Amino acid sequence: MRFFFICLLFPLGLVAQEKFTISGYVKDAADGEALIGATIYIKSLTTGTTTNVYGFYSITLPAGNYAVDYTYVGYASQLQNISLTQNIRLDIELAAEGKQLEEIVVTSEREEQGVKALEMSTNKLDIKTIIKIPAFLGEADVLRSLQQLPGVTTVGEGAAGFNVRGGNVGQNLVLLDEATVYNSSHLLGFFSVFNPDAVKDTKLYKGAIPAQFGGRIASLLDVRMKEGNNKDYEVTGGVGTVFSRAAVEGPLFKGDGSFIVAGRRSYADILARPFVDILSDGGALNFYDLTGKANYNINKRNRIFISGYTGRDNFFFARNQGFSWGNNTGTIRWNKIFNDRLFANFSGIFSRYDYALQFGEDARDNFNWKSSIRNVTFKPSFSYFINTNNELSFGAEVNYYSFEPANAFGTSNGNRVDIGLPEKYNLESAIYLGNSQKIGSALAVEYGLRFSHFAGFGPGTVFTYNDTIPGRRRTPVAERTVGRGEVIQTYQNLEPRLSLKAELNDRSSVKASYTRMAQYLHLISNTTASNPLDVWTPSSNNIKPQVGDQYAVGYFRDLGPQRQYEFSVEGYYRKAKNQVDYIDGADLLINEFLEGDLLSGDGRAYGLEFYVQKKTGRLNGWVAYTLARTELRVNGINNNQWYATRFDQTHNLKMSGFYEINKRWSASANFTLVSGTPNTFPTSRYTVQDILIPYNADDSRNNVRLPAFHRLDVSFRLEGKTVKRNGKPRKNTDYWVFGVYNLYGRRNPFSTYFTQGSERVAQGSPINSEARQLAIIGAPIPSVSYNFKF
Amino acid sequence: MVRIIRSFTVASLVALALMGCEDTIFPTLREAEPVLVVDAWLTNKPGPQTIRLTRTQPYFENSLPPGVGGATVTVTDQNGVVYPFVETASGVYEWTPSGSEVFGQVGLRYDLSVVFGGETFVAQSRMGRVPAIDSITFFREEATQFADEQYLAEFWSVDPKGPGDAYWIKFFKNGVRMNKPSELITAFDAGFSRGGNFDSANFIVPIRRAINPFDEDPANEGQFLSPYSVGDSVYVEINALTEASFNFLNEVRIQIDRPGGFAELFSTPLANVSTNVANTNANGSKVVGFFNVGAVSGLGRRFTSLSDLSGE
Repeated sequence: MRFFFICLLFPLGLVAQEKFTISGYVKDAADGEALIGATIYIKSLTTGTTTNVYGFYSITLPAGNYAVDYTYVGYASQLQNISLTQNIRLDIELAAEGKQLEEIVVTSEREEQGVKALEMSTNKLDIKTIIKIPAFLGEADVLRSLQQLPGVTTVGEGAAGFNVRGGNVGQNLVLLDEATVYNSSHLLGFFSVFNPDAVKDTKLYKGAIPAQFGGRIASLLDVRMKEGNNKDYEVTGGVGTVFSRAAVEGPLFKGDGSFIVAGRRSYADILARPFVDILSDGGALNFYDLTGKANYNINKRNRIFISGYTGRDNFFFARNQGFSWGNNTGTIRWNKIFNDRLFANFSGIFSRYDYALQFGEDARDNFNWKSSIRNVTFKPSFSYFINTNNELSFGAEVNYYSFEPANAFGTSNGNRVDIGLPEKYNLESAIYLGNSQKIGSALAVEYGLRFSHFAGFGPGTVFTYNDTIPGRRRTPVAERTVGRGEVIQTYQNLEPRLSLKAELNDRSSVKASYTRMAQYLHLISNTTASNPLDVWTPSSNNIKPQVGDQYAVGYFRDLGPQRQYEFSVEGYYRKAKNQVDYIDGADLLINEFLEGDLLSGDGRAYGLEFYVQKKTGRLNGWVAYTLARTELRVNGINNNQWYATRFDQTHNLKMSGFYEINKRWSASANFTLVSGTPNTFPTSRYTVQDILIPYNADDSRNNVRLPAFHRLDVSFRLEGKTVKRNGKPRKNTDYWVFGVYNLYGRRNPFSTYFTQGSERVAQGSPINSEARQLAIIGAPIPSVSYNFKF
Repeated sequence: MVRIIRSFTVASLVALALMGCEDTIFPTLREAEPVLVVDAWLTNKPGPQTIRLTRTQPYFENSLPPGVGGATVTVTDQNGVVYPFVETASGVYEWTPSGSEVFGQVGLRYDLSVVFGGETFVAQSRMGRVPAIDSITFFREEATQFADEQYLAEFWSVDPKGPGDAYWIKFFKNGVRMNKPSELITAFDAGFSRGGNFDSANFIVPIRRAINPFDEDPANEGQFLSPYSVGDSVYVEINALTEASFNFLNEVRIQIDRPGGFAELFSTPLANVSTNVANTNANGSKVVGFFNVGAVSGLGRRFTSLSDLSGE
């Protein structure tokens, strides 16, 4: 009844009643960190809003008296009585809830993506949850934690990156404070570059990606760094089996700003040095990273942030023998509140990924190869809070890329030859407009449009390749030299986005979305797992941009008397054009004619994702199950028929559970059960020039499934004492984590390969062939770590 | 505490080293019809030239491939000269020179024809050039944790001017061909690939020094024997390839050089390697294998004493 009443009066209200805006930031009372996605709700109007990624909110209401409820999961809510007769700036600080056992909430937060929210296909993992998940070698890791979510797969243990809803590793846009991270792994793929001490919030968009984002067709992983405590100095850290971490944070400018600096370094090489002589002569086997951020409130309407990351992995077997890789990113942001309803952010971003490989003992004979990709980005974005029912977002993005595929020199017997490849230059720009609109109290819709444009320009050489039998190497038939600044090729795409939500009742809703994304950069990788030497290459006259369309529908429901369970099921269908594949025997590194070795095809993926989460109580956690299929069709591969990708998993079951045993002890476990991924098996063999060659009479790809993969990990956490011996409370807190990864030591197959063995065979005698199954981890891996905060 | 962590780290490192593990398995593979295999690699070396015809066999059938007899095999050069190949054993077809006659001439095109079972299989190749091998040297490498002091060989040869030359480099230790999958060495000009653009120079180091067999010491696991010891001989042969056969051998290497372990993370899928042999009836029986005609150069040297080591 009230609903109709409001609807009826609303249009009148527009003319009859003056409206005012309440706006401000919602922050953590303890350390001043902005709370992302906190809810602001006005019960009497059954309307509300949530804070954006900077913790800002704005809501415009008719003049009147309101009880405004500020809530955030895990925090005590705050009710503010507001007499709205003018625009009000109201910054709110929420306090984390007390440590009573019953109330501790550590789960994958879905507050703003549950039944009530418009968002779908997203999963948010806050750092408290990530830390709780039993981790490989005891080191909490952002990317490995994502593997516990529905719709996320990987080719196998130790593989870098992740696959979302059938997308490959290079189709995920991974952002660290808005800067693109081109390679998110340390130590091949066992750890990721994100230091949990410096991460505040991680959100994975598997679909329904807002118009603000573009550039990759499968997913967006938005990692936001902590701002740092603006009230007290704080040191956190940990000592683990693989690396040690330390972070310092504290206030700047008397609390008008704050900073955080966090570093990690692996020390396997230092501890191993006595046992491994090879490292003593200039060798190195380590990784490190340093993450930092600072912010300053210039005044109530202006705030600036500076954040950066640098990290590197080193694998040197001796001085000048080995390789290294690393990312560097930097972001400068300026939050500006133009008025109570117009919020803007201007970001200037730099990101660079590079690797270097060197071999050779002396100046007469050596090999040096460096490769990099860098981009400089300017991204203004605006949110205009029109009224309680409409939030308009618009903005632009300009990316300038330079690719250095190979800056390489080979010196042979004193003869130095430049074997490098020329750099490539590209400009990717986009403008977008989107609106999030509520229609009544049960319906909401978000629609947006992104227009993206990509240009490649000189100097450079443009090759034209011949057409040949699909699947075979194409050779250049013409080349053209283009001058500096001359445009080689341009592409453009319109990318519509649409999301709908309809609440069926107080406890359930249905949602649907459509997302089109274009991708102009391609990760060139034909190996089972992507590796640090993979190169990114831009779209060109020979490589068309990838375009992906995703349709998703979902049903969301709260269950249980206290709504302690959340249930959702989502179905998706994704099709993609211009997917990059490779000829057999493709030569991807330092190859001027790389484009002649690439194939282009179609992709499709579909699946159903089920998710149940228990959010509260001593025992909490979630179960995720995905039924899915991911396929490619490329002329020249698998007889031009659809084939399953290497990371296709039919069934994918993940369970994560957390249990508070008592005040000091808690336990966590996760269990994974997934279908085996596809592999290609031969049928026959033959001999040419005394070489045994495997032969697949069907000429098929990924024709056999490996056995299923399952693994159980457990960990126990012991909180340090909270009181000193003399009974006074300790200021410092600490805890131990003891864990076992792969508890029952299953040898999960990573792949099966077919080989004649590495041994020599006497000429004229038959050659033996065999199949070998490889498990990357074939034993339980124990770990211990000590973590502190003071 | 540091002590606990440290002992755990050492334990984890040991575990990490041991954790990757492999098992030999025996999956059931689909049974497939045998396919004709043409193995025709002809050179300008003195003596008879051999072409082998065999069939594919089930992958786990560890026996010599069955020969295909009764075929008519000829090679014709672009001037119309016909070289008949006569079956001397089951599946083995030979052309025997008369007197000091040598097969082939650099630069000429050759056509292979195999008539079998009412079908005709054809292929083409062009005889490529090779540079002479100027010398072979030996050098010493200091002991590492994986090996005691080692003696290695290196061959010296300059790729001729002009891009587009491709080579298969074979080497023999004490007269025995070194044929492990990891010992399949190819070069494109002086480097690894066409895109490498490394023309008319000494072959690059990894190629010059690829002629060293690394074998594990049977008495000492994890330790490698010196590739050469005093008294050993090494013989190096450069075989010319066409670009097609160069691509073929590179595809073959990807398929056969599978050291396992962590390298499998970065392996590419199993795929059929290319063939340049075709059935004249596109809908006829399948055929695999390769036809290549190439010039050959070679040089050998014996490691007579430590004074042979260069720089010493």
